[in-house]
Amino acid sequence: MGRPEARAGVVGWGTYIPRYRLRVTEIAELWGFEKRIVESLGMFEKAVASSDEDSVTMGWYAAKSAILRAGIKPEEISAVFVGSESKPYAVKPSATIIGDALGVSRKRLTTDLEFACRAGSEAIRLNVALVSSGTVRYGLAIGSDTAQANPGDILEFTASSGAAAYVLGPAEEAAAKFEGVVTYVTDTPDFWRRDLSKYPLHGEGFTGSPAYFHHIESSVKLLMEELGLKPSDFDYAVFHQPNGKYPLKVAAKLGIPKDKVLPGLVTPWIGNTYNASALIGLAKVLEAAKPGERILVAPFGSGAGSDAMSLIVTDKVKDKVNVAPTVEELLSRKTYINYATYAKSRKIIWRI
Amino acid sequence: MLKNSISIFWRKRSNYYRIKLTKCRKCGRISYPARERCPYCGSNDVEHIDSSGHGKILNYTVSYYRREGDAENMPRIVALVRLDEGVVIPAEIVDSSPEEIKEGMEVEAVLRRLNSDDPYGLIYYGLKFTPVLNK
Repeated sequence: MGRPEARAGVVGWGTYIPRYRLRVTEIAELWGFEKRIVESLGMFEKAVASSDEDSVTMGWYAAKSAILRAGIKPEEISAVFVGSESKPYAVKPSATIIGDALGVSRKRLTTDLEFACRAGSEAIRLNVALVSSGTVRYGLAIGSDTAQANPGDILEFTASSGAAAYVLGPAEEAAAKFEGVVTYVTDTPDFWRRDLSKYPLHGEGFTGSPAYFHHIESSVKLLMEELGLKPSDFDYAVFHQPNGKYPLKVAAKLGIPKDKVLPGLVTPWIGNTYNASALIGLAKVLEAAKPGERILVAPFGSGAGSDAMSLIVTDKVKDKVNVAPTVEELLSRKTYINYATYAKSRKIIWRI
Repeated sequence: MLKNSISIFWRKRSNYYRIKLTKCRKCGRISYPARERCPYCGSNDVEHIDSSGHGKILNYTVSYYRREGDAENMPRIVALVRLDEGVVIPAEIVDSSPEEIKEGMEVEAVLRRLNSDDPYGLIYYGLKFTPVLNK
């Protein structure tokens, strides 16, 4: 008997990247950072949401595209989970707003999830379990964030906005079937935001070795051990992308060559979209992958945890790619703004 | 202090989240908004359908009026959009500057914040329009 998650797959996917971009050199010049800091992060620019956008509106757009690619009616979806660390309301679910706005069945499991940048991935895991067990036929998982950063903090170079959504359903209808999914979590204080705090704080260098690298390496090694796979068995590898360098570094530590990571690397051009980070990368890979190829996906969330997933692309993928905006189209649609416009859009300055 | 009516928004939320049209089963014509009688033939044998949310800009104007609860969004582009279903509706165009807007431009509906009772009140979501990305 195979693994239960093999009964589920990605039936549809969708992404959203706001139109506006801020060059990170402008942030560095404003706050007086050395050029080598920007270079060390491997960053060029980041996506900035408009003043009337938030994690609900971006999640809605990504979900709409995911449902279009799934080729199903919204009312066929029986579970909606939204992962975000920038909820518009501290108390009031985003998932009910998005679900009703899309016309999803009201007889649905619905909740918001929080696990730093990993909650959207947890939303996928929960839906995979629900589909595998036969509890639901289709479930919607959304990762969406307008990431906050303390002005002048190094986090401001990367914290950006974006969303990704996945419709999970039966493997026989999928563009990519799950081969295995594992999770590795520990209590690690690398990044947090206290109640009523506008911006998150982080443990500087502590976010690297004991957090990002330890958890992703652990989850990926666990996945390969359970599935009997080795790094060379994967055609693509997508990791959480807090900056442009960490995904390449963790790949090297795992023995995965750079050319398998670059197709899904988006952070240098849009920034760290937190809960959408690895999931936009996965979407970009799905839009280029061929049937039979194997994809490794390993999102990470501070606090801390990492999921590792292995997916096999099916021949259904090609018919779905151009049904909705692709990641490449969203990446190329951009208008540059200055720091003042960014500050106004993200309410770093605001009127009373 | 709340500036908007929560109860009115809640009752009408399906009209804010989707573009509801009236399709007459007798004469076949489609009208906006959703109502119980066809404005063309007077028949009350009608059904309510959702618009695809796609259309073209017929004409537009630029507003410099600053709205409370949405002060950052100025100037505001307000257009008449002819939907693919043939009806014309007023709509706000976002993610575009006035210089970029052209008559005949293809647009699609997107969910955005319409207004909010800041800093602690409700956020009101609804549809605006943006240039089509995936034609």
